Amino acid sequence: MCFKTLPVEFDERGRATLRGGIPNPYDVTLTKPDVGMTEEERTARIARLVARNGHVKDLNMDPVTRIAGAMAVHVTADLENRAYLDSHAVATLFRGYEVILMGRDPRDAIFVASRACGVCGGVHAHAAAYAIESAMGIKPPPLGTVVRNMTEAAEMGYDNPLHLYLLAGPDYSESVVRTTNPELWPKAEAWKCPNVHIHGFATMADLMTALNPLTGKLYREGLEFTRLSREMVVLLTGKYPHPENVVPGGVSTTLTLQTLNEYHSRLGKIFDYAQRMMAVWDDIPAFFYEADDRFQLTGYRPTNHIDPGYWDDPHAYDATYENCNSWGEKRWSTPGVVIGGELLTTRLTDINIGWEEFVEHSYYEESSTTRFATDSLGNPLSPYHPWNKRTLPKPGAKNWKDKYTWACTPRWDRQVVEAGCYSRLLMTAKAQKMPESEFMTATGSGMRFLVPKGETGEREVEWRVPEKWNAFERNRGRAYHYLFSQLVALESLLQAYDMHKQGERRVAAMTPEELENAIPDDERVSVGWWGAGRGWLTHHLVMDKGKITNYQICTPSTINASPRDPWGQPGPYEEAVMNTPIIEEMSDPSSFTSIDMLRAIRSFDPCMPCTTHVHTGAGEVVREVNTCSCGGD
Amino acid sequence: MADRQTRSPRLQPRTPAQELLDELGPVERFHDIEEFGAFGLPSGQVTEDMLPADAQGSNPARFGPLEKLHVFWFAGMSCDGCSVATTGATTPSVESLLLGAHPGLPRVVLHHPVLNMESGPHYTRAAEEAIAGTLNAPYAVVLEGSISDELAAAASGGYWSGQGEEPWGPDGEMRTVTASEWVARLAPNAAAMIAIGTCATWGGIPSAEGNPTGAMSLMDWLGKDYRSTFGVPVVNVPGCPPIGDNFTETVAAILYFLQGFGPLPEFDELGRPAWLFGETVHRNCVRGAYYEEGTFAQEFGDPECLVEVGCWGPVVNCNITSRGMINHVGGCMNAGGPCIGCTMPGFPDKFTPFYKRPPGSFASTTVSRMVGSVIRPLRRFSNNNLNREVRWDRQGATPSGFGREMPEPSAIAQVNHRFYDALRRSGDRGKAKADVWGKREEAPSGGSPEPRV
Repeated sequence: MCFKTLPVEFDERGRATLRGGIPNPYDVTLTKPDVGMTEEERTARIARLVARNGHVKDLNMDPVTRIAGAMAVHVTADLENRAYLDSHAVATLFRGYEVILMGRDPRDAIFVASRACGVCGGVHAHAAAYAIESAMGIKPPPLGTVVRNMTEAAEMGYDNPLHLYLLAGPDYSESVVRTTNPELWPKAEAWKCPNVHIHGFATMADLMTALNPLTGKLYREGLEFTRLSREMVVLLTGKYPHPENVVPGGVSTTLTLQTLNEYHSRLGKIFDYAQRMMAVWDDIPAFFYEADDRFQLTGYRPTNHIDPGYWDDPHAYDATYENCNSWGEKRWSTPGVVIGGELLTTRLTDINIGWEEFVEHSYYEESSTTRFATDSLGNPLSPYHPWNKRTLPKPGAKNWKDKYTWACTPRWDRQVVEAGCYSRLLMTAKAQKMPESEFMTATGSGMRFLVPKGETGEREVEWRVPEKWNAFERNRGRAYHYLFSQLVALESLLQAYDMHKQGERRVAAMTPEELENAIPDDERVSVGWWGAGRGWLTHHLVMDKGKITNYQICTPSTINASPRDPWGQPGPYEEAVMNTPIIEEMSDPSSFTSIDMLRAIRSFDPCMPCTTHVHTGAGEVVREVNTCSCGGD
Repeated sequence: MADRQTRSPRLQPRTPAQELLDELGPVERFHDIEEFGAFGLPSGQVTEDMLPADAQGSNPARFGPLEKLHVFWFAGMSCDGCSVATTGATTPSVESLLLGAHPGLPRVVLHHPVLNMESGPHYTRAAEEAIAGTLNAPYAVVLEGSISDELAAAASGGYWSGQGEEPWGPDGEMRTVTASEWVARLAPNAAAMIAIGTCATWGGIPSAEGNPTGAMSLMDWLGKDYRSTFGVPVVNVPGCPPIGDNFTETVAAILYFLQGFGPLPEFDELGRPAWLFGETVHRNCVRGAYYEEGTFAQEFGDPECLVEVGCWGPVVNCNITSRGMINHVGGCMNAGGPCIGCTMPGFPDKFTPFYKRPPGSFASTTVSRMVGSVIRPLRRFSNNNLNREVRWDRQGATPSGFGREMPEPSAIAQVNHRFYDALRRSGDRGKAKADVWGKREEAPSGGSPEPRV
């Protein structure tokens, strides 16, 4: 393991140190990543093209619909050369959850943080619980961890179909394709679906008609399955999206045999559906790639991904930072960083110390600190690391060259990484460290799954790491992630049955009274590593004298919606849009719908609500706040 | 901003919404849709026009005058959890509202950023028409999330919660329009203003201590005197998240009333649907009887009443224990989650720190423990008797293979049960002297030798 940009070295035991002799190792003007095209070059190119032809349009799509939360996308489109020359992703919403958490009793964190995002409901509650447990040294009993895994796997069962059929699906539906790509329609009518025996649609045209909003069969079925999975969640959590059962040290679910059986019968219906879902999202890319090779570039960006892992091993997880590399690698979904298609690490500490957040193009003032030079193991930390970061908000006018979004810019080793539920497949496949399972195998180049028998028979399917990550592969990956998560649900349910058999009933480490007495008085620093419907989720916590003194949430859509960084590297949405060719048919510039951009953006499943908000008065910052967030800063 | 947060509404000459509009000035122009062409309109038409002919067809006047109602959904300081909860609703479901798929239900033309096909200016066009007064049907506004104090952000040229751009800046410049501004401009001519979720109804977590954005509820924003064109104040469907069905059912109930066949929906003094929020959640709690018998959960996960692990149910208005969260499944206490008061105006700051028993519960749990210590043994005694067939009493044996260890009732217990039976049967009209002539004289073989025990 070595960092490419940051001057951090590792000894044989994996301990990190700063390379000696560099006076300001984290200075953004000294330690720079390799940048493809600089902002000046991009501006000059646009100016050249504008001078040559009049088909360059500057357009702002605000709001972008069929995503969660508030977002706008600005593009400079060259309609003659069919290219997006420039793009800016704008998070347009702020709330201030971390600010509200600060100064509170740590017991408030779970229920307050949960409200950061209501789209994938339980993830923030869980991440907060992990942060608190790590800070306070509370290890949940194995059954508590299993219930959390069951909850969070079921939650993905709601999240993935919601995106594929309600949000992204309509972009591939008959109603859209016939308008934006009419040349494809006769092809779709003639194209026989290879997976007809699984999903039942004879031609691509039939399949696209089923994707039509509100009335399409797949749209409606998707909505119904989100409800089924939500029933599974509320059997355990009482409520959705914000769970009522997450406590520091476990859960408060009253887990009876009926609970397990009801969960089981609902889960049983899902595997047939998962087969249909994968069949649909295998046929869609096959058709589009065949119809026009340029679709390979819709939403394309290099294979640079990050993920902290998801779903703990109930016996390995001990809530400590000291052992996090060991229990982290035992998660169902392995943590990791992949740059240029290569897996660099699976250690959570490496993921943590390479993490920085910048605010050059966000409505904040620079405010890094050196409060924590290292983590508790002695690994060096950047002044831009969430434990060190304060954010000084400064709402102001939008300026593409300066500040234009409330989102901040998280980078790992100063490189642009992407987060997604499909990143879990990538890490787990490459690392080949996942726990043994009868249903899931990591092959190094993909994931092999055994779909258990439902109404349809047992079947083996395989997801392979795509050569080019584009919009179609993100959607295909999401469909396979649906199966992955539901197999984790099944494995966890089997563990729960087994523990029930052994007479194991404890779901939480402490009683409420013990919890009150366990809150420490000294300063504690911790991080909760977890996942969301879109991948990565972290809560960084500092507490002192028993109260929260710093709280930072970083969500996957913060990463993906990030603006330019200090070196001009565009964020993942921006980069994906700029790589997207304009394929749609245009009789004249007024019929330009920008569907190719929308397909690119929506394939990330943007989720903007968990943005933080800060208080200013009359242009003056009246309060210093520590922020990070999802979607917006 | 601090002043706007603390001064009494009685002293306010203007509502916060009026203050913002006075500052921003009137709206003079709208988007030139021609200029945008098809940008953001990938299906060539807006969502409403994509409905199948049957759904678009006019509703015969059999049930009432309304054919359709536009609903503008705005998200302020919101987590989108209310939208998510609404998509989970089934009675009625959001898709049946959108298709007008129940007899007498006018079609709801929903303008929702998470669901609609069109983006950008094509998405905001209907709201522009509503402001201009040219929309083709009445409209209601739903707000999810709290209202933010945009005056504070505007002072430094920024915003907290933007949704779309409009040419409303100086000289027709495009500027970001906030959810607060949309709501303030749409309110006067709306048929109904509905706040969904605890943020929009009472401010919720964004307005909790530390509130950085000046977040407030829709009622605080529009003021006490607000009335819709139908004369209705702000309707509040609270919950964090709300139960999806509580919301869709309230919308449907209002529509049925407007159609003329439904009764006037009753709202309580805070604008909540009274038939949904009139009871405390404890009264219909599946664990409520544990309270009565004085047994309480001491550890997380225990099956008994959750008051001592931090449940506020006895003093919280909510119906989740009877309605469940989705399709009648779930419910906080049903699953083991103590009530944290998420439907209440006092949420969250009057309920924190969480996982701590409400101090007020000491008195009542002590009393119920005392009463319960008497009631529980009596109930157990009767329960034992009822767990026996009459035949087993007669034969003096229980044939259950599972019950080999089960002792037969003692002589004293038998006397007590007989006494209890006599009490129960006093006044039984089956003992009256009328001649039962509709059956044979003697009981058929295998029948009961003693009719009725």
